[in-house]
Amino acid sequence: MKKILGITGIFLAIVIATSILSPNFLTAYNIENLLRRTSLFGILSIGVGFVILTAGIDLSIGGVVCLAGILTPYLLTQMGWSAPETVAVILLMSVAIGFLQGGLVAFGRIQPFLVTLCGLLIFRGIARGVTMDQTQGFQGKFAELRWIGNGRISIPGVEEFSLPAPVLSLIIIAILSMIFLNCTVWGRWMKAVGRSPSAARYSGIPVARLQILAYSICSLLSGFGGLLFVCDVGSAQPSDFGNFYELYAIAAAVLGGYRLSGGEGSVVGVIIGAAVMQVLRNAIVLVSWLPYTAEFAVIGLVILIGVLADEFLRRYAANRARTQVKGTS
Amino acid sequence: MRRTLLGTLAVSLITLASFGGANNAVPPKQRQAELVLGYTKNPIVKPKLAFVTNGVADFWVIAQRGAEQAGVDSGAIVTVHMPAEGIADQKRIMEDLVAQGVKGIAVSPIDPANELEILDQIAGRTLLITQDSDAPASARLAYIGLDNYDAGRMAGKLVKEALPSGGEIAIFVGRLEQDNAFRRRQGVMDEIFDRARDDTRIENPNTPITIGKYTVLKTLTDQFDRTKAKANVEDMMSANPNLGCVVGLFAYNPVLALEALKSGGKIGKIKVVGFDEAPETLAGIRDGSVQGTVVQDPYNYGYRSIQMLNAVCLGKPDALPKSGFIDIPAVTVTPANVDAFEADLKKKLAGNASGNSAGDTAK
Repeated sequence: MKKILGITGIFLAIVIATSILSPNFLTAYNIENLLRRTSLFGILSIGVGFVILTAGIDLSIGGVVCLAGILTPYLLTQMGWSAPETVAVILLMSVAIGFLQGGLVAFGRIQPFLVTLCGLLIFRGIARGVTMDQTQGFQGKFAELRWIGNGRISIPGVEEFSLPAPVLSLIIIAILSMIFLNCTVWGRWMKAVGRSPSAARYSGIPVARLQILAYSICSLLSGFGGLLFVCDVGSAQPSDFGNFYELYAIAAAVLGGYRLSGGEGSVVGVIIGAAVMQVLRNAIVLVSWLPYTAEFAVIGLVILIGVLADEFLRRYAANRARTQVKGTS
Repeated sequence: MRRTLLGTLAVSLITLASFGGANNAVPPKQRQAELVLGYTKNPIVKPKLAFVTNGVADFWVIAQRGAEQAGVDSGAIVTVHMPAEGIADQKRIMEDLVAQGVKGIAVSPIDPANELEILDQIAGRTLLITQDSDAPASARLAYIGLDNYDAGRMAGKLVKEALPSGGEIAIFVGRLEQDNAFRRRQGVMDEIFDRARDDTRIENPNTPITIGKYTVLKTLTDQFDRTKAKANVEDMMSANPNLGCVVGLFAYNPVLALEALKSGGKIGKIKVVGFDEAPETLAGIRDGSVQGTVVQDPYNYGYRSIQMLNAVCLGKPDALPKSGFIDIPAVTVTPANVDAFEADLKKKLAGNASGNSAGDTAK
């Protein structure tokens, strides 16, 4: 709980500041948009969280998002596949990607950075090659499938506000992840692998299998995320779809309390971390005097100040605890 | 000892290189003239020519068809290259083409002001023309394309038709540092505000401007990230409840604007003016959700570029325009002409059309 206190504080501060600075921030329409974007990016972040937990890293997320996002409309419109066939193939392909990458890390003993960096290049390359760099879109069809990305669920009794459909996916994925990490032996083992792989190995924990599992979950969620992203925006261009999304995903996970050295993290924290990024980007457009062109500088600065404040408070609290202990002895 | 030896070797190599590169001694402009003159004396048939784009887009696929068709018609050996990773990638591709020995390159510079050195280096070694986006300060022989400012004004006219009694307008684009984006935006704004052309005018994309009954709000960029492009429109709708019209300067911008309007229930209430011919934009014109779009003629950028380079290689320097500019003007597509436009586009993509030189004028 303590781990996510800092990021929750940063999040609340940004929300309160933006709602004071812009009267349009807390409108139903804007909140719907923010929930949808946070869900889309949050799913990627939860995925990479598993890999970071085992002290690995997955840089191929953007590539997998691109491949899944490109192949979905491609298989539907160019190849004439049905929606269930397409979704099944996309998800199976994503798991297979993670399985392969995890296998190379676990058994091939190749650094995860290298394996997944190559993955990033390979998957985008395949997407570009298959489509000959042509933009892929749903051509105004497949509204039922696209609902999972851009749909809205009306809440009985509430008129203005509807729940964006991707929020459902996020909630289901988050709950399953929390159950896995906190209530199953495999989840606990995964944390142990991140803390100390050799200690875990000596304790008889199947380290390699857990690593492969972590990469498979990450790629599955990246592929599913890519599917949701393309369902939301309706079209995708292979050369830029999902560019840098791995960095957004990793940033949200680290903001949310994951340690890149492995072993520690919280799913709720990751979701709040993803929300911080999305609310900041939104605030820069909504608050009219903020210079839009300095977007990245503002995001970087606010996060840095927040993290510094968090660290400062933590040290202050630790110091106080120490002096109190001295005083009583 | 070894270090001294290596140092001496490096110094002598650098000295050799600075003397050895004969091409570097001649200014690129003069070198281009020499090349042209050389071909009048010794024409080359079936020259290797290259067409280099500024990125990957459907727009460029149409241009590619034009360039390839010109190759078929003229006998030139044509390759088309689409750099996916910006300026560094474009530079690498052009250098590799020169190394391969191509006789001419038609390029759409990504950032003309900062790419000058690269363009002049290329111009020192092979025939160079610009297309789609110009680099007037470089040694390029000619520019084939449209005046993006004029195209912007055409889009501005569509905005005024969409909002005859005035209103708030927001502009969306991939990158504003690109010459064509910058000029289009200025053209749109000057037309909306009834101002004359002033190439020195630079307006801050962060500050709204109100003149008369029109207000142009912020100009938002997305660096070609579609999720961001859609989010930009949504956020402007949140921030400005009275938003009356959105203008998308790049091909995918009106498409993503339509997605945002659809999910926000604002189709028809907020007008859309676009650029280029994405299928969704054309469908929007047909069903009334898009006011109109300003389209370029990428097919003829490709066709005319290759045609011109090939003519120079064949020893016909008259193919180069005296003013250095071949204008291939933009066209406004509205419900009135959308069907005819789309039929023509399909024909060109199928590859059974040839360049149209009747509709454009050399300036």
